[in-house]
Amino acid sequence: MPTTKTTILTLALTVLFISGCSSSAQVQIDSQFPTVVSKPKSVTAAIVFNQEFTNYIANPNSKTRIDLGSAQTELLSNAFAGLFDQVEFVSAATDVTFDNALVITPSVQEVQVSTPSDTYLNVYEVWIKYSLDIQTANGDQVDSWFMPAYGKTPDSFMLSKTNAIEEATVIALRDAGAKLLLDFYRIPSVYNWLVTEQVSHKNRKRSSHSE
Amino acid sequence: MNRLLALGATILLAGCGATTTIDEYRPNNQIMDINSEQSVVILGRRDAGHYDTDREFIDCVASKMKGADIGVFPEQQFVDAIYPWFEPRTAPKGLKRLRRLMKDPAITEQIERNGIRYLVWLDGSTETHDKGGSISCAIGPGGGGCFGFAQWEKSSIYEAIVWDLTNLTEKGRLRVDSSGTSYLLGVVAPIPLLTPVKNDACASLGTQLKQFFTVDQSQ
Repeated sequence: MPTTKTTILTLALTVLFISGCSSSAQVQIDSQFPTVVSKPKSVTAAIVFNQEFTNYIANPNSKTRIDLGSAQTELLSNAFAGLFDQVEFVSAATDVTFDNALVITPSVQEVQVSTPSDTYLNVYEVWIKYSLDIQTANGDQVDSWFMPAYGKTPDSFMLSKTNAIEEATVIALRDAGAKLLLDFYRIPSVYNWLVTEQVSHKNRKRSSHSE
Repeated sequence: MNRLLALGATILLAGCGATTTIDEYRPNNQIMDINSEQSVVILGRRDAGHYDTDREFIDCVASKMKGADIGVFPEQQFVDAIYPWFEPRTAPKGLKRLRRLMKDPAITEQIERNGIRYLVWLDGSTETHDKGGSISCAIGPGGGGCFGFAQWEKSSIYEAIVWDLTNLTEKGRLRVDSSGTSYLLGVVAPIPLLTPVKNDACASLGTQLKQFFTVDQSQ
């Protein structure tokens, strides 16, 4: 009988020990992001953060789950506020109240994660592939812009898989904010829309003065 | 016998010293103008694909500089205060880009508000190479132990570039090159004889940077 008890205890300890080595990661991004330093252009925009985006949970592989929704909503709200002087955040395109505005709907296309065991590199890496659907308030398509973001840990020394993926994801989210502020007005279709909108705004002003 | 042992230990430990070389370049001998309300920020380059200038090294250099009453602004606080213009994707790699960035009044205001006068870019890494030997450890009912000998060489190469954020000019460059061999002896118990290559590089670079900001003021 004592032998059976010892065997059961040994087995239980072995199972506990092996489950402790399991490489699954449940990551919740709770970091706070800094406010962007940027002078917004005099452009009006409505940002559609639908439920799918605000509650987004990435499953880059069967063992990894990253709860990105609230962090990416906070970061992109902050970044869009640095791009446009008048901005509203809505949960559906039908809720947009602005006229002559850009209506931007961000979505996540894919999230990829690589670990030292995949790449034999001493770092954890995260890629987030965003897509921005850009329309006018009338529903005319301006562009569908692909916006990739990348983050990696400096090394993997003494980092648990969960902490390392969290760190790399935060860096990738910060990179998304940087990419958006750096490149948004360089999108040719957005630039053209802006020029056309400024010309028609001047014309509207002129005709209102002449009346 | 004791003398022989002491001599052997001295020779062995002397072999664990790192060789460090510092190169300094300044375009001119002008005084580094910095007052008590201004500070220096030390930033690591993070745009290379295969390495990141590690935060531990930057913190180490910053702590060595603090001894000379030079205000050192924390790296992460600076990067956050000016987000997103010093992220790996957006950080200026040259003075031309810095000058363009500083034309933005919002950025200049943040730099002035935080009293940052000089920016020191640190770029480099510590790498291990030339590994040799082997050591094996075993344990049995009668006890255990390690036998063998292993050695490896480490080299730290870092470059510091000093930018003046008021005049938007480069004030100088420093380069530290440190290398040394570490040993692990397995004589029943493993005996590590480690060469502090990175520490040496940090101490040398920190001291030199401290002089860089203070030496000319006495002249």
